Amino acid sequence: MLGIGWTLLNPLVFMLVYAAVFGALLKVQGPSGKSYLVFLLCGLLPWTFFQQALVMAASSIIANAGVVRKVAFSWMLLTVSTVMAALVNFLISLVLLVPFIIFTKSPVGLPLLAVPGLVIVTFGLSLGLGLMLAAGSVYFRDLQYIINLATMVWFYITPVIWPFTKYEGFFHHGKLGLIFKFIIYANPMTWVTLGFQDIFVFNRWPQHWHGLLYTVVLAAVLIYFGMRVFRRLRRRFAEEI
Amino acid sequence: MSDGAIVVSDLSKRFRIYHQRSETLKEMLVDRRRSRYEEFWAVKDIDLEIHDGETFGIIGANGSGKSTLLKCMAGILIPDRGKVAVRGRLASLLEVGAGFHPDYSGRENIYLNGAILGLPRRYINSVIDEIVGFAELEQFIDNPVRNYSSGMYTRLGFSIAIHMDPDILLIDEVLAVGDESFQRRCMDHIEGMRREGRTLVFVSHAAESVRRLCDRCLWIDHGVQRALGVTGPVVDAYVGEVNQHEMEALRQAAAGAGASEAGWMGVRLTSLTFTGEKDQASSARTGSGMTVAVGYEAPGPLHGVRFRIAFYPAGQDVLISTQTDDSELGTRTIPASGTVRLAIPQLPFLDGVYGAKVEILDIASGRQYVEIDRPQSFRVQGAGRRETGMALLGHTWEVPLMDPTGAGV
Repeated sequence: MLGIGWTLLNPLVFMLVYAAVFGALLKVQGPSGKSYLVFLLCGLLPWTFFQQALVMAASSIIANAGVVRKVAFSWMLLTVSTVMAALVNFLISLVLLVPFIIFTKSPVGLPLLAVPGLVIVTFGLSLGLGLMLAAGSVYFRDLQYIINLATMVWFYITPVIWPFTKYEGFFHHGKLGLIFKFIIYANPMTWVTLGFQDIFVFNRWPQHWHGLLYTVVLAAVLIYFGMRVFRRLRRRFAEEI
Repeated sequence: MSDGAIVVSDLSKRFRIYHQRSETLKEMLVDRRRSRYEEFWAVKDIDLEIHDGETFGIIGANGSGKSTLLKCMAGILIPDRGKVAVRGRLASLLEVGAGFHPDYSGRENIYLNGAILGLPRRYINSVIDEIVGFAELEQFIDNPVRNYSSGMYTRLGFSIAIHMDPDILLIDEVLAVGDESFQRRCMDHIEGMRREGRTLVFVSHAAESVRRLCDRCLWIDHGVQRALGVTGPVVDAYVGEVNQHEMEALRQAAAGAGASEAGWMGVRLTSLTFTGEKDQASSARTGSGMTVAVGYEAPGPLHGVRFRIAFYPAGQDVLISTQTDDSELGTRTIPASGTVRLAIPQLPFLDGVYGAKVEILDIASGRQYVEIDRPQSFRVQGAGRRETGMALLGHTWEVPLMDPTGAGV
């Protein structure tokens, strides 16, 4: 019972803190006069899932060295189940988002039907990258720490705390703008985040369908290569771990 | 081609021994460190077919590659050359309790282990009581396994593995778990599995358990097959070689050892030899004679001393200890140096390696002058006798026989 309590408590406290800071203390205005709190949370939740999944996946094999050394089974399950665990946390936090939406009187409707699709895409991205990280960490122990740093930077190139539309104009300012544009457009999490914001903040179907299509293809490619890399590297897991 | 339960063809596995290993991306990218390693073949060119329903043994010294071979069969290690074909559901018991999660209860770990081995929950539900009963853990099954004693831990691990209903069970040197009664029940269960026609593969360096259990076996040495076939001759060949190595090691040890540091009052031991019949150094036969010679040296003549020699099977408790007669030596003086001899006309020890502990003590104070302990002192050859254990027992058997006329008794 306590186990479920903790899984609920963690995202709840996390969201309440944000609500207190951005809802009551800092009166930040969201894009087009919408609630900044809902804007922030609906980007933060998929991001947190993505980050958790990568960090946990990176250690999923090494943390189970004892099993890998002595028991033959599909070790990929260790990584898959880790990403699934992060997914469950994410789904729970999505449910917890409901009261915030009601409280801030944000209108939501039919576009909610697109949520499962976005969840699946995010899961695909996490799993594909997670498999590579899990297998790679067996050979390079510092990959776990590197991924912590990388996601920290990655967070800021994802339009979670800054409204994409507000800074879009910057992309047209010279070379630097172009570089930023490239980085942000190439980032699959950009399109996932924008999709969630479209649904929860603007109550509309995800708009950037070019970007989403790219993200879906990328997720598929990442899963394919993730599995290939994993299968290739697993051959010497038991010796190297 | 063939219908063996496990067919190993031309299997080779090499390991890397790293001299310098770049374990992190940072080392590889920033320091441009390259891993330098030597390759070594842990298993080389093994061809093997284990038949359905057979109990097969793999013997060899430590580091001979037998566990590597077993791990290749289990699919944990992927061979570099050759292949392993397995027919049937395989479970491996390479380490008791591998895959236990310390925070989960015994019951949860049973389900976890079952899931890892790919068993449906329904099946585990049907055997869980048996597993718990076999491991004798009814009382503790809902406690986290981190609180288990090592005995409980191993019993549970073993019980899970043998109840997983595999067609093929691979066991690595883990039979010696639990107390006497648990071991006996394990053996009984394994016997039962044999009768049911399961295929069992044992890895062991204990020749006797292989001899007792296995139909056929493979002797592997430095990764290469030395002998393959019916258990008896293969194990004999293996034991023969092990004994020979042991003898050489004992002889070398005997040549150098035996001398001790100076003890109390500067008394020291200068030599310690064990001589069997025909002047065989460090070797004797069960039931034949052996002489132990202890050389000592002291600054001056010694008054009222006691010599004591204790024998014990390597790694175990003292079997027999004997000492000189105090009433005779208590009032006498012995020269400053000399050799004490202990003659054993009929050595009562059975097959094995024995250690000896030699002491010189002062009778009056009970204080020890000097002591030497040699865990591997001599080898007794008694293989092929009808007795097993440690010591010879003088005995006769009387068995009722049918009268040749058929009248009975």
